[in-house]
Amino acid sequence: MTHEAAAASQPFVMDATFWTATTIFLISYVVIISEKVHKTVVAVFAASLMLVLKILSQYEAFHVEELGVDWNVIFLLIGMMTIINLMRPTGFFEYIAIKSAKAGKGDPMRIMTIFAIVTAVLSALLDNVTTVLLLAPVTLLIADALEVDPIPFLIVEALASNIGGTATLIGDPPNIMIASKAKLNFMDFIYNLTPIVIVLMVVLLVIIKIVFGKKLKTREELKQRIMQMNEKEAIKDPLMLKKSLFVLGLVLVGFVFHGTLELQPATVALFGAGLLLLLSNTHEPHHYLAEIEWPTIFFFIGLFILVGGVVKVGLIKLMSLKMLALTQGNLLATSMIVMWFSAIASAIVDNIPYVATMNPLIIDMAKQMWPQETGLALLRHPDLMPIWWSLALGACLGGNGSPIGASANVIVVGMAEKAGKKISFMRFVAYGFPIMLLTVFISMIYVWLRYYVFSF
Amino acid sequence: MKAKDIMEQVKDYLSPDDTIKNAVNKMRVLKRDDGIVGVKGMIVLDNEGNLVGMVSVKDILKAIIPFYMTMTELGEFTWEGMLAEMTKKVADKKVAEIMMKDVITVSEDAPLMECADLIVKHNLQRVPVLNKEKKVVGIIYVRDLYNAIVRVLLDDKEVQNL
Repeated sequence: MTHEAAAASQPFVMDATFWTATTIFLISYVVIISEKVHKTVVAVFAASLMLVLKILSQYEAFHVEELGVDWNVIFLLIGMMTIINLMRPTGFFEYIAIKSAKAGKGDPMRIMTIFAIVTAVLSALLDNVTTVLLLAPVTLLIADALEVDPIPFLIVEALASNIGGTATLIGDPPNIMIASKAKLNFMDFIYNLTPIVIVLMVVLLVIIKIVFGKKLKTREELKQRIMQMNEKEAIKDPLMLKKSLFVLGLVLVGFVFHGTLELQPATVALFGAGLLLLLSNTHEPHHYLAEIEWPTIFFFIGLFILVGGVVKVGLIKLMSLKMLALTQGNLLATSMIVMWFSAIASAIVDNIPYVATMNPLIIDMAKQMWPQETGLALLRHPDLMPIWWSLALGACLGGNGSPIGASANVIVVGMAEKAGKKISFMRFVAYGFPIMLLTVFISMIYVWLRYYVFSF
Repeated sequence: MKAKDIMEQVKDYLSPDDTIKNAVNKMRVLKRDDGIVGVKGMIVLDNEGNLVGMVSVKDILKAIIPFYMTMTELGEFTWEGMLAEMTKKVADKKVAEIMMKDVITVSEDAPLMECADLIVKHNLQRVPVLNKEKKVVGIIYVRDLYNAIVRVLLDDKEVQNL
């Protein structure tokens, strides 16, 4: 064996750079989990260290797809957030919420069911955080009107939001990240994840019916309070609402055809944002742009560079080799381990840094398994696809396991507390953890049957 | 003239442990210097007589309005009797939970211009006056400053004729 060949087969060199990058990475993740310092501050500072210490060059961080910032993710998020910021003041979301409550005829059980479905659909098409942020206040109002405990409603909404968000490419940040890395398009998610998410939603609805069906009762005169509300009064700006719905519709059509049109999802989202800004005739775009969740955007930017650093020094490759040794190349075993490990990890920690680390790890693993393949043939290798879906299902559904597992949960818990209805950690876990176990278990059966038994 | 020359005496105050119900009653029966019964705000003193906060009618209203209404535009979606319902819910809430804690004060030797400036800048209705030991010795109301202006602009005869 020549010297070069030996070096090439060496997975990594454990030199000072390797240990520096690994240390920065591990300490950052520990501090992020501990929540002692804001996660965005940690990520941005750690990323800057990767650059200053020349573990990653600035060129690699900004311009190399495998090592640096994933601009697809960044601009998809910015585009969608801008559209929602422009849409929010029209009162559309309040309208939908009040309309749903009236469709439930003021009956708490029906309202809970309809709200769960609405939350799931909106979470699939927009993002989970926005959805619960807009629906939770109306939920609290309706619970007050009906004199029922709002906590079950709020928890069910968080669970439905995380399940619904799993269905599409744009529904949940892990999916956006996986789609970009694995070059999956919107319709891939619709074909592979939406069917199982519909099954999981039906299961959730059956369970809440069993758990709350007999308990949730209200008086007839209280139902009238809901029925007397006029949802049309929620619409503050009918013209802008029409423009928003037109652009949102256009964007969704754009997502459906983005693969065929050879347009990246971020391009579609940015086009929608640009068009709606133009149509709004606003002279104060800074107002809508300032409302973009910049801390989240910078968290992503920092994380991508941080992970890029440990990809470059070979830590991720080392981890992928360990994983291969564990599964011995058995694809079914790999899928199952990825799914369950992702679910447990995402229940405990933020699923965004988790997926940011897992994406390059899975790509590295694929390179070991199919060394002759490159590019799309490697990323979309038929045997690799179920592993991507397992990662998406595990990371998204795992968020239901605890109140800190997903951003939607954090928001719901925070709102309940402000309303003087504290949701304890264990009360959330009592609902969320069994739902998480059940949904991941069903997903496991689905992945096994669909990709390994029937392989369609 | 200084703050202590125009301030009104403190006749009653709230305790942080008072409930909203107690507070509303104390405010209802308190007699002002000009003889009118009922005030729209009171200072809150702890057991040692230190100023720890102030409660106004608006602070009480804020406690009554559910937070979700302030978060979104849900004003149209209320029902007959909702205010009464929500008021009953907070009746036993403690003054400590609803009082404004960062109270703007003046020293007893402060010039009137300083008092006027504070009242306008911070949109205040009343300013507690503190002595050197930081104890409240009086309260200046907007009306006290107004009376001071009246005395500058109109002489005693003109005031009598009004």
